[in-house]
Amino acid sequence: MEFAVGDAVRAASPATLQRTGSQAVLRVLTGLAALASFMIIFLMLFFLVAYAYPAIRFNGLSFFISPIWNIGNQYGSGTVTRAGFTGEAGAAFGALVFIFGSAITALLTMFVAVPLSLMVALSLVYRVPRAIRPLANALVELMAGVPSVVYGLWGMVVLVPWIGQALAPWVTTHLGFIPFLGGSAGSGNGLAASVFILSLMVIPIMVATTRDVILAQSNSLFEASMALGSTSWQAMTRAVLPSVRNGIIASVLLAFGRALGETMAVLMVCGAAINAFPQNVFSPVNTIAAVIVSQLESALTDSSGMAQRSLAELACILFIITLLVNIIARGIMRGADRRAGQGQSG
Amino acid sequence: MRKTLALALAALLLVSAGGRALAATDLLETGSTLLYPLMNLWVAAYQQAHNDVQITTQGTGSGTGISQAISGVAQIGASDAYMADMQMKNTPMLNIPLAISAQQVNYNVQGLNAVHLNLSGPVLAAIYSGEIQYWDDSKIKALNGKYASKLPHQQIVPIHRADGSGDTFIFTQYLTKSTPSWASGPGYGTTISWPSVGTAVGATGNPGMVQTCQNTPGSIAYVGVSFLNQTNKAGLGYAALQNQAGKFVLPTNETVAAAAHALDAKTPADERISLIFAPGDNSYPIINYEYAIVNPKQPDAGKAAELKKFLGWALETSGGQQPRFLDAVHFLPLPESIAARSKAQVAKIQ
Repeated sequence: MEFAVGDAVRAASPATLQRTGSQAVLRVLTGLAALASFMIIFLMLFFLVAYAYPAIRFNGLSFFISPIWNIGNQYGSGTVTRAGFTGEAGAAFGALVFIFGSAITALLTMFVAVPLSLMVALSLVYRVPRAIRPLANALVELMAGVPSVVYGLWGMVVLVPWIGQALAPWVTTHLGFIPFLGGSAGSGNGLAASVFILSLMVIPIMVATTRDVILAQSNSLFEASMALGSTSWQAMTRAVLPSVRNGIIASVLLAFGRALGETMAVLMVCGAAINAFPQNVFSPVNTIAAVIVSQLESALTDSSGMAQRSLAELACILFIITLLVNIIARGIMRGADRRAGQGQSG
Repeated sequence: MRKTLALALAALLLVSAGGRALAATDLLETGSTLLYPLMNLWVAAYQQAHNDVQITTQGTGSGTGISQAISGVAQIGASDAYMADMQMKNTPMLNIPLAISAQQVNYNVQGLNAVHLNLSGPVLAAIYSGEIQYWDDSKIKALNGKYASKLPHQQIVPIHRADGSGDTFIFTQYLTKSTPSWASGPGYGTTISWPSVGTAVGATGNPGMVQTCQNTPGSIAYVGVSFLNQTNKAGLGYAALQNQAGKFVLPTNETVAAAAHALDAKTPADERISLIFAPGDNSYPIINYEYAIVNPKQPDAGKAAELKKFLGWALETSGGQQPRFLDAVHFLPLPESIAARSKAQVAKIQ
């Protein structure tokens, strides 16, 4: 594109008319490209909703309030019809367990990852010696680039046995008096393992974005605060962090979206709970993304097709939630950028 | 420079054309992870003698096997479960048994993994429903007089498959046929709506079942017999299961053959039948046919011919039914009458 513009400008520099002509073409082309990205998202959502429509009618409100998920008896003889749409005998699709599971894993992940990421980012900017800073930065970026299935495999082989045989028995016996830490130690597959793995995956992303917004802020704020006699802790928490608040909120929301959507790594360690809510932090749990993958195979053999369509309804919900989270995050980020820009020019 | 490039291109064209002429036909087999190890043994041996066909095998799960055979992506859909009546009505397919498989119930209870606990359908149903929660429950003790004092007061962690699975199909069929309350409740299928048990864990694939059972003291799991070597290596115990005659039997070649023999005569022409909970004193209760799901009307005549040849070989006693293939995965050959029916089904492929 750039070459085309450059060539056009050089060739037609006396003829302004021609230049504006090629610029108009360029404008149309880039406009179409920008429109396409909107259209793709819109069309995907449209077709997903259209495909899920029979399930949306069949399940009604119970989709959001029932904890019982049953794809129905494929080998039975009867069918069940609701709102004019047919599923297999016994079919009932309540997604509450999975919606709750997605929410609780993502929220707990933020609870663990946000403070850690902020501390790591501040250390990278203000504390880590200049000499090893590039190495530390490279390590963080490397962590962000590891494929999620690798984290999942490590979680399955190393983390889950450790939680099941060491951490969970110790915590449930010694700290069991604290709510949600007592009770059954379980197998290691569950909420704690999922949160641990998700934290490993979102921390590098949050560290990288937070570090960049702190670096974009000029250093003078930190130095001025120090000059006024504050400790470096006070300078960081009272002066630096509030000034980049929007940037941090945006990066937290982006990480939240990632935690909500992660599939394979969670499926490998979550214990795939069905029809049951977690009773403590070591209980099996299940998320919207994980259940779509694990139930898809059997759903494909449902001759009424309602199981597939109900999984599509789950996908719609995940799609809408992550879309909203991303839009809000981008909006806040853009606001933060604009203000930072004004700050520098003023 | 240009000349060598042209030469190289020509050589490449020749090689690819030659390769194409040699491997004229591609067949794809996909589905059951239980059948996958056997398919690999079969295909490797078969292709040594038949280099005009290229067979690719994939272990993806029975549900995928059935749906990809229907859609035409795969020529052979491997499945531990036969297709349901309603599916057959929409898309008639051949369900061709290739071998007989079984399933063991594994457990991880300290001190008892070296012996075989007795378990029954109703007790397993109660465990998977959360009604029996501890290993020293009186109902488990009642079945295991010899080891009653050794059963620990330990919480039971029931492990089930999270993904769609032929193993879930045959295990829940055993519970359904042996326990009326399970029949009217969860029922059976490749994925079922498991009763709400807080400790219950879902694991993916037979390897996931073995690993989770090994890592979780007090757990119980159902695992395909082709993984018996792995469960033994993991130090897990496996149970003697109560059959229809009320006897407790271990999965051995004799008990699996006895169960298969009890139901040969009942196997219909389309061969869709459950072999679970067969009659007879010595019949092991959880056995099944391993199926090739095949579309009788193949769009490609060349593929249809190769498909018939390969499946025909797999059903021959001098071919795929030899012990050197089946013993390695603890499967049994089809009884003669069943193999004959399978061959009759293969003949229908066009």
